[in-house]
Amino acid sequence: MALLSAVPLILAVGLAAARVASFDVLQLFQAVMVPLFLQVVLIFVTLVNATSLIREEIDDNTLPFLLTRPISKPAIATYKYLGYLAAVLILLVPPLVVAYGVTEAYGGLSFTTDLDVLGGFLLVTVLGSAAYGGLFLFISVLVRKPLAVGLLIGFVWESIVGSIPGDVPKLSVIHYLRTILKGTITVSPLAGYRTDLSVATAVGILIAFSIAMVILTIAVFQQMEFRQKA
Amino acid sequence: MTGVVEAAGISKWYGEVLGLNGFSASFGPGITGLVGPNGAGKSTLFKLLIGQLHPDQGTLRLLGENPWNNVPVKRRLGYCPEHNTLYGWLTGQQFVEALLRLDGMPRSQAEKAAEDALKLVGLSSAAQRPTRTYSRGMRQRAKLAQALAHRPEILILDEPLSGADPLARVQILRTISEFAKAGGHVLMSTHVLYEIERVTNNIVLINNGKAIASGDIRSIRALIDEHPHAVRLETPQPRQLAQALARMDHIVSLEIPEDEALLIRTRKPDAFYRELPAIVADTRLEVRSLESPDDSLDAVFRYLVG
Repeated sequence: MALLSAVPLILAVGLAAARVASFDVLQLFQAVMVPLFLQVVLIFVTLVNATSLIREEIDDNTLPFLLTRPISKPAIATYKYLGYLAAVLILLVPPLVVAYGVTEAYGGLSFTTDLDVLGGFLLVTVLGSAAYGGLFLFISVLVRKPLAVGLLIGFVWESIVGSIPGDVPKLSVIHYLRTILKGTITVSPLAGYRTDLSVATAVGILIAFSIAMVILTIAVFQQMEFRQKA
Repeated sequence: MTGVVEAAGISKWYGEVLGLNGFSASFGPGITGLVGPNGAGKSTLFKLLIGQLHPDQGTLRLLGENPWNNVPVKRRLGYCPEHNTLYGWLTGQQFVEALLRLDGMPRSQAEKAAEDALKLVGLSSAAQRPTRTYSRGMRQRAKLAQALAHRPEILILDEPLSGADPLARVQILRTISEFAKAGGHVLMSTHVLYEIERVTNNIVLINNGKAIASGDIRSIRALIDEHPHAVRLETPQPRQLAQALARMDHIVSLEIPEDEALLIRTRKPDAFYRELPAIVADTRLEVRSLESPDDSLDAVFRYLVG
């Protein structure tokens, strides 16, 4: 997991080691980061972490230790989600920042030269972690094999949805993340991405979606019964 | 409803499988043993009591309250699950302490309470070891420690002696007894009957999801008197003795399970014990020993479940 989270850093160091021409290294960084970080690292890290939050306790038979404490199920789900968010951001943000710094340094630029790039990726990391985390957590209380369902959603639906015409892409998280990257980065590899939403709207939708997913998770978890595995 | 635990007509289905079938029982203060074979419904009842499941039918009260999604009542109970999985990366001290922190206990107080609880179950020397290195007996004691540490009113222990070594069994039973002596209530399940007999005479027998008997062992024995009572005699002349005893009109069956043994079933055990010496004396047959399998709780259970 830590290795996967470090992909941005490995990528940046790799580009530097390959002695890529310095004038387009930042664009190249961005171009590779969108498919690699946004569509692989972010989804995989959030999927594995969020689906295990409650489901692992059920499968390991450790949930009774929590359920017999004077703490409500909504509180358990909320604290677990907040803990997940902190853990995932600790995993994802530092490598991203260091990778950006390495890229800028390789191009002979100061750290603050392309802060829009860093800001855009940090924003999608935070909002993507929140939204995917909420979605995968909700799936984990709905089905017994959340990883399989999450893989389908994360790596099939989220990958193909962008190429479907009409408003269908709006039924994915990645559409809003791409919208944010397009709107926040001046020279973005997603400059040609089709979207009619503003950055603020995309941010608002992702925040609302995350909250809705957590509330739905709590509603299901509150009424869930737990049969220990034999 | 006045008991520590009151169950009235509780039914619980797992799809098409019936976990509890109209279970009704009242569990009084002190230690109560819930005795039944595997699959009888013991764990289902406990999961209902801790609010992990809710009944499909019937009414259940723990300390006078409905346990389903009832947060305050959890402060009053300690639960020791059947499974031995702990958070393996935590030490015994961290495990108990972390759960105490969920009770809202301040860190320093939780640390002290965890130490005390681990000492009580004899785990002080292993308190700083990760629980993944614990033996099954140590895990049982660690589970008991977390159940006890916040000083609950009632302990619900699901097979607390399962897999425990002799030393751990002694320690666990001693801890349970001391908890009850201090005024706590204990509800513990087992499918090994002699374990319960060592700490209480107060039992509830469960089979196929139903309570088939409850109360003091003596009152359960009274129920047995309605059933044929078994007596086993060691004798070198089992056939001759069987012929002599067949004259008794309350004898239900006579069986020779081994060459020098006779198994008798009677409807009137008192009459049998009164008449036996005279018959043995008259026939001059040798009887080396007499035992009633019914003297053990095991036999009580076998009778009641058929």
